[in-house]
Amino acid sequence: MDAVAMLLIIDAVVLILATLALTYFLLRDMFKLKHKKK
Amino acid sequence: MEISLIDYGIIGFYFVLLFVIGYVVKKKVHGITDYFLAGRRLTLPIFVATLVSTWYGGLLGVGELSFNYGLVNWLTQGFFWYLVYLFFALFLANRIRKSNLYTIPDQLERFYDKKSRFVGAIFNFIMVTPAPYIFSLGIIFSIFFGCEAWLGILFGTIFIIFYTIRGGFFADIYTDFLQFLFMMIGVALIIPFTIQKYGGLDFLMVNLPSTHLTITGGWTTQMILVWGLLAFWTLVDPGFYQRCYAAKDDRIPRKGILIAIVFWLLFDICTTFTGMYAAAAYNAGLLSVESAATSYLSIASSVLPPVLLGIFLTGLIATVMSTVDSFTLLGAMNISHDLYKGIFRPNSTEKQEMKMTKISIVITAGFALVIALFFDSIVAMWYTLGTIGIAALLVPILVGFFYNGRKSSLASVLSMIAGAGTSLFWLITGYMNLDSWGWPQYYYGLEPLYPGLMMSLIIFVIVNIIHMRRMG
Repeated sequence: MDAVAMLLIIDAVVLILATLALTYFLLRDMFKLKHKKK
Repeated sequence: MEISLIDYGIIGFYFVLLFVIGYVVKKKVHGITDYFLAGRRLTLPIFVATLVSTWYGGLLGVGELSFNYGLVNWLTQGFFWYLVYLFFALFLANRIRKSNLYTIPDQLERFYDKKSRFVGAIFNFIMVTPAPYIFSLGIIFSIFFGCEAWLGILFGTIFIIFYTIRGGFFADIYTDFLQFLFMMIGVALIIPFTIQKYGGLDFLMVNLPSTHLTITGGWTTQMILVWGLLAFWTLVDPGFYQRCYAAKDDRIPRKGILIAIVFWLLFDICTTFTGMYAAAAYNAGLLSVESAATSYLSIASSVLPPVLLGIFLTGLIATVMSTVDSFTLLGAMNISHDLYKGIFRPNSTEKQEMKMTKISIVITAGFALVIALFFDSIVAMWYTLGTIGIAALLVPILVGFFYNGRKSSLASVLSMIAGAGTSLFWLITGYMNLDSWGWPQYYYGLEPLYPGLMMSLIIFVIVNIIHMRRMG
């Protein structure tokens, strides 16, 4: 596999991980807010 | 296009989730600030998710440019935009949040007067009419389900009206988040499977014209600037402003846009290269492609296994729907907040304004539906009409934010009308002289935006000087 292909795969993996990380933080915020309300 | 039952199941699941969100979210709305701006409580993650997903409306268009021209797609649809996003983040985002308003016409009234609000609201409405996106939703549905495009257009619009009316901006941001997930993961998944099937750089070099692999794509500087400078759209984009107003505190908009730029960068690299792989595979005789516009779909269905294809196809629907619902709400706010409450019925109660917004959601979506259903030949032109909104609004908005001297409201109104009028004139003459490909031929090869912006600036400066001197 050449360098360009490798970089593209890294790009795609980082995009997926960043999306999942954002989802985690979002759900955490929502949970915190609900917790505070209680 | 062949889609397996399980992929249809994933698409169906997505619609069920949207329905549930629309049903549940109504409970969160207690007043007009909730309905318009989710109570100004957007946290950083949701700010990023809603901004990123709303901003992307035309994945197939980006695929088409990459298929036809290669890397230059990234330069014109990515790089120039990042620069303007950066400017927005550093110099505008916090000012907008601090102003604590609701819309762009609100800003115009703050800087000038009610007349500016009125004229600005009309151009704003033109910018956010979701007709081109509703039209592409119909095309996507017709490809996926084999139905007539009008049926897809009708179904998509009724669905969006349902959840937007019920939950306003709350429904918008929650559905945006779901759409963001499908978009990002769906687009990223294609890359490893494409490389596995076709190989790396060698495959592209052998099967693509050499210009596809240069950053300028063999385009002239003027062509690149013509496309690239459309990024000014961002500076007067109602969706950007709405999300900045809705942020929980002053720091979120700046931080959020900077994070969103990273997402857009990663996403754009995926879309550009997928389009290029589609072109290379097509040239090599390994992929059948109906048209450049649907090349993205062709390569996805060729490389992705079931389930992942379902996620990608849902992501494709999501990119369009996230833009349609946001634009529909923004158009409705133009009518109810900027015109009804702002101009004609300033004493109306919150309840009346909310009721008017719900009616306006139906009006905005209905208006876009009629254009998409019955005037498909002007749908592409409507996108260009949207750029006329930039020619009208950019100068008075930027002057309002950055010029601290005395400002004439007459200069603002006249510059908006002159900017839009010049662009419209340019547009009409262009469409009266189509080339053999059916593309409009504009005077001096200039896109309508540029003469419009120039005229808007000249008129503003001249009228402002004269008017201010007369006022002493």
